[in-house]
Amino acid sequence: MKSIITILCCFLCATMSTGQERYLTKNGTINFFSKAPIENITADNNQVLSIIDATNNQMAISILMKSFLFKKALMQEHFNENYVESDKYPKATFKGDLLNFDAVNETVRVVKVKGILTIHGISKEITIDANMAKIKEAILVDGEFIINLADFEIEIPAVVANNIAKNIRVSFNFNHEPYNK
Amino acid sequence: MKIKKIIIGILILGIVGVFVAYKMYNKPHVKVDEVATDIASTANKILEDFTADETIANSKYLEKIIEVKGEISEIKIVKEKGIITLKTNDDFGSVLCHLSAEATKEISTLQTGQTITLKGICTGYLMDVILVKSEIIN
Repeated sequence: MKSIITILCCFLCATMSTGQERYLTKNGTINFFSKAPIENITADNNQVLSIIDATNNQMAISILMKSFLFKKALMQEHFNENYVESDKYPKATFKGDLLNFDAVNETVRVVKVKGILTIHGISKEITIDANMAKIKEAILVDGEFIINLADFEIEIPAVVANNIAKNIRVSFNFNHEPYNK
Repeated sequence: MKIKKIIIGILILGIVGVFVAYKMYNKPHVKVDEVATDIASTANKILEDFTADETIANSKYLEKIIEVKGEISEIKIVKEKGIITLKTNDDFGSVLCHLSAEATKEISTLQTGQTITLKGICTGYLMDVILVKSEIIN
C-alpha cells in the first residue's frame, strides 16, 4: 500500500519539474464479465487511476475493489466479502512497461504492455495488447484480457461453480490527460 | 390424515423458502438518499484521515454512508455521470464524488467555488478519496 503512494508521489513530484510528460486519468473504466451456464455477471468500475510516464514509458494503475458496481447487491456483497476479500485487499494494482510506446500517434495501434498485476494480494507477470492512440494531448488506451481466478487464489465454492466463470474477461478504457498541477 | 398434514406443511415451508431465497437474490442496492448517514464530515478532515493512516481510515470509512461538506473545485461529466471534486488543503488530494444518475441531472445548478454537501458511499483512497452513488444534499 505504502509503495503505491510512494510511486504516485514520485510521479507527481517529477511532474512539477518536467511538465507535459505525465498523463493521468482518475476516472478510467474497467469492466469485468463472467460468462457461466446459469448467469452472466458483469461489473463496472469508473474510478480507476491510471498514470503513464512518457519519460520512461511506464504505466501504473490503481483500482479500488469496492468501486466495482454490480447489478445485484448480493453479487457485490459476495464479490467483496467472499471472493476478493476487499477488506483485506482493498486495491488491485498494475505496474508495467509500454514496450513500443514511442510509436504512438493519432492512428490507433497495438502497444504491448508488460508488467505485474496484483489482485487479492497475489502478483503475476502479464503481457497485454492494448490499443493506444494520442489524440491532441490525450492518450487513449483500451483493450481486454482474460484472467484466471485460480491464478490469484480467488476461490469459488462448488455450490456456485455454475454461476461464476473460472476465467474472467476484463476490459479497460482510459483517457489520459496531461497532468500539470 | 396425518401424512396429508405433513405434506402440506413441507409444501408451505418449501414455498416460503423459495420466496425468501428469491428475495435475497434480488436484494436491492442501498439507496443513498433514503438511508441514515454514518459519518458527517468535511472534505479536509476525510482526506487528512486517509493520508495520516490509510488502514485505519479504510476501516472507518469504507462502504459507509458519508456526508461530506466542501468547496467545489471542479465539475465534469464523463460518460453521462457527474463527477464533483471537492477542494482540500492538500495540494494533490481531494475528495472525488461520483454522482448518481438522478443527481447528475441537477449538476447544471452547481458552480465551482460554491460550498456543497454531498452524501455518498466511500470506496477508498487512491490519489483522492472516492465516493460513489453520491446525492446532492444542499
